[in-house]
Amino acid sequence: MTAKINKDSFEYNYKRLEEIMEKLESNIEEYSLDDIMKYYQEGLKLIKICRKKLEDAELKIEKINADENG
Amino acid sequence: MPKKSTKYNETLAFDFSDNESEIQPALKEEIQKKPLSVTELNNLIKDLLERGFPYVIVTGEISNSKLHTQSGHLYFTLKDENSQIQCVMWNTRVVYLKFKPENGLKVIIEGRITVYKGRGTYQIDVLKMIPEGKGELQLAFEQLKEKLEKEGLFDESRKKPLPEFPCRVGVITSETGAAIEDFKNVSRKRYPLFTLVLFPALMQGEGSAESVCRAVALANKKKFNIDVIVITRGGGSVEDLWTFNEESVARAVFESKIPVLSAIGHEIDFTICDFTADKRAPTPSAAAEILLPDKSELLESIDNFNYNIKIYIKRRIENLKNELKNFEKNYFFNKPKDILNELKFKLDDFENNLSELIRERMYMLKNQLNTYDKILFNISPDQTLKRGFAYVTKNSGIISRSAELMKDDNVKIKFYDGEKKAVIK
Repeated sequence: MTAKINKDSFEYNYKRLEEIMEKLESNIEEYSLDDIMKYYQEGLKLIKICRKKLEDAELKIEKINADENG
Repeated sequence: MPKKSTKYNETLAFDFSDNESEIQPALKEEIQKKPLSVTELNNLIKDLLERGFPYVIVTGEISNSKLHTQSGHLYFTLKDENSQIQCVMWNTRVVYLKFKPENGLKVIIEGRITVYKGRGTYQIDVLKMIPEGKGELQLAFEQLKEKLEKEGLFDESRKKPLPEFPCRVGVITSETGAAIEDFKNVSRKRYPLFTLVLFPALMQGEGSAESVCRAVALANKKKFNIDVIVITRGGGSVEDLWTFNEESVARAVFESKIPVLSAIGHEIDFTICDFTADKRAPTPSAAAEILLPDKSELLESIDNFNYNIKIYIKRRIENLKNELKNFEKNYFFNKPKDILNELKFKLDDFENNLSELIRERMYMLKNQLNTYDKILFNISPDQTLKRGFAYVTKNSGIISRSAELMKDDNVKIKFYDGEKKAVIK
């Protein structure tokens, strides 16, 4: 896969959200209250971003002609 | 030319009764008169055979099949249980053969008998050859499938996973076909978060295999930043879909560094391209369904996250409170009860208003930053200079000891409002 991570992508935000949910769901005892608070804050932000990205999305289309690029 | 026999599995017998009366006595007479040269005899035989068998349909089994690598002519022996005959197929006709004439293959041949005078041999000059029992394309399909399977082109171990959330999808298809419309429609409904990069290609007929191969290579170019390739077209006849049973297409798909999803024809159509691709989809719409996550499912799981994140934190606070209560009951912790109460209060607060706490924390951080800012301001050299201090530099280095300066050294004295030059006495 591509090496560079696009932090603006839905994938990055959604994966990060999943990661946080995973931490809070199964390992919450391992974190300090401060950390939990940070995760909570980030989680809510990511939920907002992901939902907006899904709701606003519009399919983009490009065309590549073999003659010009072959 | 004699009529073509419609029954392929019967060896065709020619009727010689007409020729017999003319050729046979004349031949007999000539042969008996005086010795013939070998050339003369072979000429007579050639004449007799080539005129006698201008068109034959023969069925038999291929053996000793040999494709001459340079000329492209195909030489083989056709045989049955008791007999055999040499055959040759010239390169101009070999190119139209879809299947590989392997040894042991039962075939039906159309051709004519020719005599090679140089060696005194005769053979069938093959004009057309088809496999017996099954279609030519079916056989070609099976042969290529077996060959590529042996080479490992279909191995599960080499199949690349498709990206979970595609960003730039390279679609190789006809610009005007139904497939691209189906793919677009499902994409819009399902996951319109990516860029569909269309690589138009011929999807059937003359030149289509080359066109598809070119498109696969093009989509692999780094500048297009494609993360998955979809090769797709709608249904059609076996001949229409044949492009995707061509070896060149299979190899191009195999060579692709980017994962390939193949969706050719309908559910029932399996092509070599499908087998070689990293994943097969039964139709163009199904390709979009397989490739893309579902928007409504994602929204649902985000809603669940939103619900659960609060539950998890509430539960944790509840647990901590219980733990505190247990501590409280413990004799050793009875003394610093104040601290525990304070913690308890903090937890209650946290539970009641998480965002309030966050705000508080932000405020605290801000205050801290302000303090740091002040400290930094006070200890900066500017503030010290303002209070009447000055410092000396030589060659732009700060002088901190008198021993560093010699007589006649040129120095600069830096004040709050500027600098002066000086010489050491």
